[in-house]
Amino acid sequence: MYMFTKDPRAEAAMPAMAAIGRLSRRSFLQAAAAAGALTVMGRAAAAPPAMKFVGASEAAVLQRLMEVTLPLSGSDLLPLSQVAVLPTLDGALLATMPPHILAGLKGGIGYWNDGPRAQFNRPFVDLNDEEAVRFCDAWANGSEVPQRALSVGLKKLIALAYFANPPTWAPLGYDGPNTRKRNIPSLGNAALPRS
Amino acid sequence: MSKKIIPVKQPKHGLQVTQASDIQAGSTLKLQADAVVVGSGAGGAITAYELAKSGKKVIVLEAGPYVPSEKFTEMLAISMGTMYADAGGQSNTTGDISILQGACVGGSTVVNAALCFRTPDYYLHRWGKEHGLTNLKPETMRPYFEKVEQHLGIKAVGPNETSAGAELIGKGLKKMKLPLGRARRNVKECVQSGFCFAGCASDRKQSMLVTYLPWAVAYGATIYSDTRAVEVLAESGRATGIRAEVMDPATGKVKAQLQVDAPIVVLAAGPVQTPILLQRSGLANSSGQVGKNFACHPTLSVTAVFDKEVNDFHGATHSLYMDRNTLPEEGGYLLLNAVQDPVEASFQVEPGTGKPYVAYMSKYKNTIRLISLIHDKNNGEVVWENGVKKINYDVDDEDFESMKKGLATTCKVLFASGANKVYIPSSQHLEINRMEDVDAAVASLKNERARYRYTSFHPQGTCRMGADPKKSVVNPYGETHDIKSLYIADASLLPTSIGYNPSETVYALAHYISDHIVKA
Ligand SMILES: Cc1cc2nc3c(=O)[nH]c(=O)nc-3n(C[C@H](O)[C@H](O)[C@H](O)COP(=O)(O)OP(=O)(O)OC[C@H]3O[C@@H](n4cnc5c(N)ncnc54)[C@H](O)[C@@H]3O)c2cc1C
Repeated sequence: MYMFTKDPRAEAAMPAMAAIGRLSRRSFLQAAAAAGALTVMGRAAAAPPAMKFVGASEAAVLQRLMEVTLPLSGSDLLPLSQVAVLPTLDGALLATMPPHILAGLKGGIGYWNDGPRAQFNRPFVDLNDEEAVRFCDAWANGSEVPQRALSVGLKKLIALAYFANPPTWAPLGYDGPNTRKRNIPSLGNAALPRS
Repeated sequence: MSKKIIPVKQPKHGLQVTQASDIQAGSTLKLQADAVVVGSGAGGAITAYELAKSGKKVIVLEAGPYVPSEKFTEMLAISMGTMYADAGGQSNTTGDISILQGACVGGSTVVNAALCFRTPDYYLHRWGKEHGLTNLKPETMRPYFEKVEQHLGIKAVGPNETSAGAELIGKGLKKMKLPLGRARRNVKECVQSGFCFAGCASDRKQSMLVTYLPWAVAYGATIYSDTRAVEVLAESGRATGIRAEVMDPATGKVKAQLQVDAPIVVLAAGPVQTPILLQRSGLANSSGQVGKNFACHPTLSVTAVFDKEVNDFHGATHSLYMDRNTLPEEGGYLLLNAVQDPVEASFQVEPGTGKPYVAYMSKYKNTIRLISLIHDKNNGEVVWENGVKKINYDVDDEDFESMKKGLATTCKVLFASGANKVYIPSSQHLEINRMEDVDAAVASLKNERARYRYTSFHPQGTCRMGADPKKSVVNPYGETHDIKSLYIADASLLPTSIGYNPSETVYALAHYISDHIVKA
């Protein structure tokens, strides 16, 4: 059981959680393409990559969440080393967040990171895999609105940034857009009605 | 009497639109028209066409960009960024209901699933009794439904217009002895791409983009995209025009100012933006009802996993429904099948963190979805506060009971279709493994905020229509009670939620209101 201690960051994070779907995906592909090289570099480095829109400490939490939520080894899914998840998140999702929402998100990430201290005496980034999974699932089923909202919102950010990259689809068996592939002609505008 | 057609060269494919790129930065445009229409979606496009056809000079202002179908990517993650309100991320204040609306030339009709229902007589009668809308009798509305059905080619799906998931669900419905409704859609020669929500790349969907808007242009209407109305202008209790800002779509910054002076103003900016426009203008709110009575038909999409591959990727987005229990007294829920791309599928289900999630996504091709949509109370509110819009709405306890009934039926139909497990879209792991466990599992659900992953495709009700000026914003003919010649013609009008997808209701009401504007 986790005790919910009132933390102003929890309430402040709510608009950010509400805004997580509110992020512009306009630049998804560019961000993913531009980030390709960065990913490899970022992953080679020991420290988690600092991101443009959130600082190194928040990036470390997101990186850890990505590792915990997407343990891909042993599966057919495209390995994390080949998908620019965090740079996509940064370049396509966080890039267009209004400053106050981004600030709320940062607070929420901090609150999330401190969440496990009560039970594990350590922040999220220092939990082992099994502990981190337990924590994620406990907050997903938590009794407090901000815990559930953060659990859904932060995991959604990671999943979106991974699966919005089209190369992740082939291992799923999904063939993507098809109209142009099938040379389907446009019917154009409908004729002006006579009545 | 309709006037002669103004000869405007109509491109075979595409639409004549004045975009931000056509307007000089820093300029102030002053335009004159007989009527200015705000919004080019379901309500706006039809009104623009009808008014232009009657010989009026019509200007349409659309906040969203013009995205021709050649630019449709068939990738939801991308199209959300270009064609949806708030890049697809509009939500209630709690953040647990994603409230989707189109925001482009053609509005939500460009990204909707084209499923059409006439307004049930039940609601027309109820609106008569409870809201004084005795003018909207079934026999009065019938010609309007017939007209729009003819114009948009609305017809039942053919035997080939289906999807792998729908076929399975059809079998489940039969086993459960539930009626299978075949979708009626405004789609011509569907090629079953399954990408209705990302825009129909081959223009089979008869959205406003390829129907009423080019027709309105053929009658001389002009359309300004990237142009956001910010104020309704009025003098001595009569509407006089609209003040708008032309936005640079690349930067989101104001590029130019635009004002249209017109004796007729029609608001069709949709049920979130129309009340905001009135609130910002300080108009038409003597009833205090502007922005109130928000409803949105919350939906939950249950995912079922099969032992075999189903590959429910393409096909008609919706091809079947089950409406035996849709009226409020009978349950208040509607079931709809839907195909879903992996991006959406990736955040609809919580099978548990880490390995169970990866295992679930690895089996994406074995999954299908069935949606429960509920008739909800009009207990929400859209407000404009410190320059920010807020949609204050949480699912009501009684409405949640309708959702539970819908979920129970959904899960049972999916098991009857051959599923080996189903997931209810919640924040925590909520999996049911046997038909026999459905009732107990669903009965244990509580109505809690940020617990379920709702989507709403149907905001409505925020400028409700009614005979009583104290309880409604517009009169039975679409004109605001307070301001003469200021009309509303979009989903804001609906006095109650209707439990069915509302586009045909909006189309018919817009035609009806246009007739009255022309006659006024
Ligand atoms: C993804 C999706 C799927 C759907 N599927 C179905 C379906 O299958 N069947 C069905 O019946 N219904 C469906 N709907 C709902 C249906 O499309 C809407 O109910 C209907 O289009 C509402 O019409 P409207 O005129 O109120 O608003 P809209 O069609 O949304 O048009 C409003 C327009 O106003 C513009 N606007 C907003 N603010 C301003 C401003 N300040 N200035 C200028 N312009 C402005 C917007 O950009 C938008 O283009 C769906 C909706 C969505 C989003």
